[in-house]
Amino acid sequence: MSNAYLRFWGVRGSHAAPFASHLNVGGNTSCVEIRVDDHILICDAGTGIIPFGNELIRQKDIRELLIILTHYHWDHVCGLPFFVPAFSPDWKVSFFGPGDDDDEIKKHVSAQMRAPYFPVGTESWLANIHYIPPHRDKLRHGPISIEYSNVHHPGSTYGYRMRVNGKTIIYISDNECNFIEKSVRQRRGELNEEEQILYDDMIQEEHQSELDLIENADILIHDAQYTPEDYEKKRGWGHSCYIDTINMAIDAGVKELYLYHHDPNYDDEAINVIYQHAEKIIKENNSSLKCHLAKEGMQIKI
Amino acid sequence: MGIEWPTVVVVDNSPAIKKLFERSTRDLGIELLIFDSAADSWAYLNNAKPDLLILSIILPDKNGLTLLNDLRKLPLHKNTSVIMVSSKDYAQDRLAANELGVLDFIPKPMPMQTITDVIVKYTKAKTKSG
Repeated sequence: MSNAYLRFWGVRGSHAAPFASHLNVGGNTSCVEIRVDDHILICDAGTGIIPFGNELIRQKDIRELLIILTHYHWDHVCGLPFFVPAFSPDWKVSFFGPGDDDDEIKKHVSAQMRAPYFPVGTESWLANIHYIPPHRDKLRHGPISIEYSNVHHPGSTYGYRMRVNGKTIIYISDNECNFIEKSVRQRRGELNEEEQILYDDMIQEEHQSELDLIENADILIHDAQYTPEDYEKKRGWGHSCYIDTINMAIDAGVKELYLYHHDPNYDDEAINVIYQHAEKIIKENNSSLKCHLAKEGMQIKI
Repeated sequence: MGIEWPTVVVVDNSPAIKKLFERSTRDLGIELLIFDSAADSWAYLNNAKPDLLILSIILPDKNGLTLLNDLRKLPLHKNTSVIMVSSKDYAQDRLAANELGVLDFIPKPMPMQTITDVIVKYTKAKTKSG
């Protein structure tokens, strides 16, 4: 059996939260490492990729990795200008993310590194940089197979389904669960009976398609950014209320759920309250789902 | 010589939305073609220009805006009339749609009358009895 693990390098959404009150959960933005022996896959390149890059540069055995990006919002790419392996000539760094072709992926990855926002561009990267064009079939990175799907978030945003060591890991950092259901509920008064029946069918279809996206997950890492109160204020921002995430994971028969993309305004105490409530929901549903808070530095054997 | 009805193409994989389009246009003199995926629609759109193209954003095989971007690269579809109908009603998606020259962006759920009105507005379709 290979040595395989998953490590959280950044678990925050929106922006970094390097505050003393937040550091039990962690302050860096989205970045998860999936390692199988010498193969390194990185999901997103938020500020969490900076300490990871610093660690990588200190070891001598591996000089190649693949970064898969869910999308190009800042909290998912802002670590790249400080990702040391990209500036090192003996490294090979490959990128994959939303885009019509490899040129568009390159354009999106490069866009944040230009004057006056940053002193050097990606042309200063000395590593062998490779942009992977969209694939009809599964992507592969060594023993890791990777599939992607569009999810509910502003712009073109992917969720990833990976197969590692016989386990299914699903990474959906940014996704607004049950969006259509809430939209229909909000506008129900404008719809006649026939329309209401059709939209109820559509809610079922969307629900099923959300379940299909995460079904059979041994490990699901999913957006759980808001409390119900904050979700009401921020509906349409492209993130989930943690209650919807948990219910979705229960319905889909997910084995282990990691609540992820924590709101930077929530300190350790607030996130612990979310966790306690999550446990309560799972118990009330008599579900076997194991729920965890994704915390920076947490390492899970796969 | 018979009357040639305007062609309206819908790309959306939801069976419920398919029914919604069929019912909201049943009295209109249009030829309605509905495709479940970007790939299926491409086989038709590669050679044909509808009078109105209605696209969803989240499709099983491709983002609807990516499909539109691909279509706009074809001389045939440089100016094809396009409307987005999507539950993905985010400012970033609306902006991307505007940049690709869509005429309208209708968020789901919409009443059937909205569909009828928008098709009449952009195709000048008439009711079958009229």
